[in-house]
Amino acid sequence: MLDLLWNGLVNIAQWKYLLPLFAGTFIGVVGGSLPGVTITMTVIVVLPFTYGLDPLAGLAAMTGVYVGGSTGGLIACCLLGIPGSPASIATTFDGFPMARNGEPGRAIWLGVWASVWGGLLGALFLVFLTGPLAAIALEFGPWEYFSLFVLAMAMVAGLTESSLLKGLISTAIGLLITVVGHDPIGSVPRFTFGSQFIGGGFPFLPVLIGIFAFAQIMTDLEKLNSPRGQPAQSLVGVKLERFSHLKVNLEIFKQPFLLAWATIVGLIIGILPAIGGSASSVMAYDQAKKFSKTPERFGRGHPEGIIASEASNNANVSGSLMTIMAFGIPGDAVTAVMLGAMTIHGIQSGPLFISQNPDIAYGIYAAYILAHPCMLLICVMLMPLMLRVTSVRMAVLAPVVLVLCVVGAYALNNTMQSVYVLLLFGVVGYVLVKLGFPLAPLILGLILGDQIEINLVRAIMTDANPWLFLTRPISGLLLLAAATSVGLAIWQHWRHQNRLAEEEPDF
Amino acid sequence: MSIGRDGIAGLVLLAISLILLVKSFQLPSLPIVPVGPGFYPAIVLSLMAAASALLVLQDLLRRRAPAGVGDAPRRNYRLVVIAFAIVGAYVVLLPLLGFRVATVLFVGALQAALDRPRTVRQWVVLAVIALGTAAVSYFAFERYLLVLLPRGAWTGF
Repeated sequence: MLDLLWNGLVNIAQWKYLLPLFAGTFIGVVGGSLPGVTITMTVIVVLPFTYGLDPLAGLAAMTGVYVGGSTGGLIACCLLGIPGSPASIATTFDGFPMARNGEPGRAIWLGVWASVWGGLLGALFLVFLTGPLAAIALEFGPWEYFSLFVLAMAMVAGLTESSLLKGLISTAIGLLITVVGHDPIGSVPRFTFGSQFIGGGFPFLPVLIGIFAFAQIMTDLEKLNSPRGQPAQSLVGVKLERFSHLKVNLEIFKQPFLLAWATIVGLIIGILPAIGGSASSVMAYDQAKKFSKTPERFGRGHPEGIIASEASNNANVSGSLMTIMAFGIPGDAVTAVMLGAMTIHGIQSGPLFISQNPDIAYGIYAAYILAHPCMLLICVMLMPLMLRVTSVRMAVLAPVVLVLCVVGAYALNNTMQSVYVLLLFGVVGYVLVKLGFPLAPLILGLILGDQIEINLVRAIMTDANPWLFLTRPISGLLLLAAATSVGLAIWQHWRHQNRLAEEEPDF
Repeated sequence: MSIGRDGIAGLVLLAISLILLVKSFQLPSLPIVPVGPGFYPAIVLSLMAAASALLVLQDLLRRRAPAGVGDAPRRNYRLVVIAFAIVGAYVVLLPLLGFRVATVLFVGALQAALDRPRTVRQWVVLAVIALGTAAVSYFAFERYLLVLLPRGAWTGF
């Protein structure tokens, strides 16, 4: 295994891979530091550039975006008091107060170094655990796969911040989109209404770009020219104070338990399907506060808060990569785009991915590891530029991002149909956001829809007994976990409602 | 008992799922396969219909707070409508004018709509960004990444 990893590192160190990795990491840091531009949006912007590249070069660029974006978000957190990307949300709680207390350099560099160490610790798990996880998944039959996908969707629907019902409906919409077009067994057209346009089904990436990028940009535009949309006490343009990198690192390693625990929290959240870096950042922050000897200092510029949040969101990347490489299930929206890019290049993700494509699999590990020094180098060299980037106006960003979204959709198969699909789902995504429907379950449904149907039909064709889904031990356990997840979500919702009712004043 | 936004959304989704559910039952069955092409969509649509119906019910039973000013930030929906219209026009014009011309017009128009330039210098910056975006993306994709971009039916460009 270490031989393969070494080969992967040597391979990625070639210019044809190192350049896309470095460029991707740079774009990731910039995209991450721009408030309103998420990592998903950044990876979507980079997507069309990868079409003409070698598959590994494209995936290296996307891995770079993912790592860079997870770190870049902290710059806006510390200078503007608003997260550059949702993955850095908890960094704001202590990063901004520390910067306002006259230590913006310490705040930013604590975050950068914590990201590096958290990410590299996460890499250990990524390299050594993905293979065994894939080996477990190889034992799965269609029943287990079906149940695993059901569990993934139940968890995502249950964990959404809005209602469970909306999460379930959103999942169903995602599944429904995959049903349109010819059925996978007999090629019978379904719900096409005689239209040639949707006869082949909706292409995955334009739907994804439309739903995520368009909906996000349009939601950002709503806040334009609104006084509430502007940060109150921006520190953009501030000069960083003199400080020592060694001192910052000592500060991190003085608390090895905090770093390790934040990494593990990030990793676990990353492994869970479709739960993004924001959850890992907040959860690790919360855990750090609970375990801290000085919890009262949290929220006032406590270094522990920054370390926990940043180590966790970078480790989250390795967890997401593990899920996609071992099971073929995206850990979040960014890996969903990566999955789409792999499909374009004819690479099938899933448990056979590592054994069938060792060069690409170990290349991704290597790209993930090398993205961290690249990110550090970019931060060291270009920090003054990064400090200014956060002030780029949405009026400039939005048109450029939208052009790249259109190119990304068009270049898939050089037809305008993909662009029409993009626009259609841009409107659908925006309407769903405005109605309070979460998008993460929809995307997961969209990605897993075909696989769920194929495995369901395959299971029934192998043995028509439907009880096998429950009586086969792993499948049964997975379905039980899915039911528990939904039950837990209902119970939490019920408890929340009761608490609200108790708090309501009785006149 | 009055219906809210969730209720209306639930009703629309319920109607869509019921119409498609009926359609899924009309799909032909296949001789060799034990389950037909409508089997899986029917499961998905049943789930969607049930969840939509529950959403309507939940909305009808919800106690509504009296409408007030509230703390919600003011949203600029006018800008969103304009932005969607400009994107729509871009998508229509793309195959007619070609990528380069349509992109210059799109980037310029959307920038002007989002943040109207007031000085000559701001207009020049807007034009430079519009021309720059079209030129850089054209050269990057067509020349270096071998991605063909749309040519205009009207312009041949």
